[in-house]
Amino acid sequence: MARPGTEELRRRNRAALLEQLHRHGPQTRAELTEALGLNRSTIATIAADLAESGHIQETTGRSTGSAGRPSTLVACVPKAESVAAVEIRADRVRFALYGLGGEVLERAETPLLTGVEASAAAAAAAALVEGAGAEAVAAVPGLVDAGEVAHSTELGWAGSDVAADLADATGREWLVVDTATAAAVGEWTRGDAFEATKLLYLHGGRGVTAGLVVEGRSQRGGSIQLGHIVVEPNGQECACGLRGCLEAEMEAFGYAEDIERATMAAGMGDASAKDGLRRSGQDLGRALGAVVTATGPDEILFGGWLRELYLSAAAPVRSALAETTLPHLRSRLRLRTPVLGQEGPLIGAAETGFAALFDRMR
Amino acid sequence: MLLELTGLSKRFGPVEVLSDVDLSIDAGEVCALVGDNGAGKSTLVKCVAGIHGIDGGTISVNDEVRTISDPRDAAALGIEVVYQDLALCDNLDVVENLFLGREKRRGLVLDDDAMEQLAAETLKSLAVRTIRNLRQPVASLSGGQRQTVAIAKAVLWNSQLVILDEPTAALGVAQTRQVLELIRRLADQGLAVLYISHNLNDVFAVADRIAALYLGRMAAVIDAADATQSQVVELITSGRSGTSGLIDTNGTNGARQ
Repeated sequence: MARPGTEELRRRNRAALLEQLHRHGPQTRAELTEALGLNRSTIATIAADLAESGHIQETTGRSTGSAGRPSTLVACVPKAESVAAVEIRADRVRFALYGLGGEVLERAETPLLTGVEASAAAAAAAALVEGAGAEAVAAVPGLVDAGEVAHSTELGWAGSDVAADLADATGREWLVVDTATAAAVGEWTRGDAFEATKLLYLHGGRGVTAGLVVEGRSQRGGSIQLGHIVVEPNGQECACGLRGCLEAEMEAFGYAEDIERATMAAGMGDASAKDGLRRSGQDLGRALGAVVTATGPDEILFGGWLRELYLSAAAPVRSALAETTLPHLRSRLRLRTPVLGQEGPLIGAAETGFAALFDRMR
Repeated sequence: MLLELTGLSKRFGPVEVLSDVDLSIDAGEVCALVGDNGAGKSTLVKCVAGIHGIDGGTISVNDEVRTISDPRDAAALGIEVVYQDLALCDNLDVVENLFLGREKRRGLVLDDDAMEQLAAETLKSLAVRTIRNLRQPVASLSGGQRQTVAIAKAVLWNSQLVILDEPTAALGVAQTRQVLELIRRLADQGLAVLYISHNLNDVFAVADRIAALYLGRMAAVIDAADATQSQVVELITSGRSGTSGLIDTNGTNGARQ
């Protein structure tokens, strides 16, 4: 087996050190030595190298509480590398520029007319982003594979090559991920879900989608159309052409405000509100049961308005899940709500870009 | 096991309120305690908290049998209880309430800075964003914010087990959700939580295991992942469901006849 050359090794170590600082914040050289498994002199060489190129800086650090000179902290310089992240929603395009370490350098958003074509959304995104960032990533709600949006209930798109539209509008390469997958990456890297090997994020917008990430990385085929799993054969007609899709069956619960109202009404004894919540929870649990059986995640996060639905109707959701999954799949499954809220998709899109950036540096 | 109750019994005169109750709770998990009114939930909590003495059985903490004869003993073992009425002082601010009775001192005076800093760190570790001003009197807080302060107060003392008695009973919809997320976070950070509630949605939203009391006896302790709503309702109302539950449920203890 050929051993990697010195130059290649150095590049890899550089990328590893920068990624470590980006993910875990400022650290002492001793902590870096331990985390990366490299020896002290290697760390010193790479650190000097990265300081020269302006990626990191050493600061007078925190006191350890014990006597002696406080150790210096190594920190990455946010502006040294940046990633442009864009989230496309039914009514607006949100943009944020993230620097190394996850700091937000710029933020903007622009309204979008409902029902616009992918090319128009791409033009709006292009105007926000311009040339910013070493990588550009867009999060789009729907079924996304290799840059193409195969189906999106929220935007009404089908078979749109969004990556190509964005490239045409901006003259640069774009990564396109679905909103749920982006949020999953965000919650894994910057939220509380880092213990999950397989993390499933459910996104409730104007449509219900899901994204599965493995070890915090998006995978091809990880974008799941949860809203179009049939939970009621011959049920309500859905806009997609099928009958009895989860989205169609949960029609009354399209938005967070409806759930707010229904929960309050149910609490006061309104029988139809109670029944509606129970049925929606049950339908969601059944659709999830199919996804859990197929993919075997160890953690599920209920995002968007599904957070409200889960916390208001957890009993029917979990009852249906218990009835539709194998015991060994459900026994290690954690059900949680996200901690990053609506910033999740943008943060995750940026982290997807940083992962690509570090891969390129290696 | 962090907390293990074995054969716990409690009598008030001739009335046997708890008989032969077994329950164990591990660090990092939320165990929900459910049961009808008068099933013995509050009595069980008071036995663990040291308010009532026990008449039979043992209480072990970290695998060691302990005698808990008053609330101070419970606190020394890392057991904290948040009661329904929260026991906060309206005229004091958030920091003063958190440290009430256990104030930090520097020499003879109170160390306000250290207390405020520790309070801020605790609230931050619980991802509490609803309380902005730590010097605000508790009287001016909403129900959800008060509940948050009461829970933070229980967490502040290197506690290992936090017992919550109906924490969401008096809260609105949005506040209930926040408190549920907070309860889940406590356990995810490594605490054991015993959570008492009448609301099955709230129970299912946070629980890892569900323990159902029926007329002073433990009907069953089941994994929340395997439980269904109707099964839990059956356990609460009749003490049995399918193959799980009590064998004889006419209110007498079959083993002693």
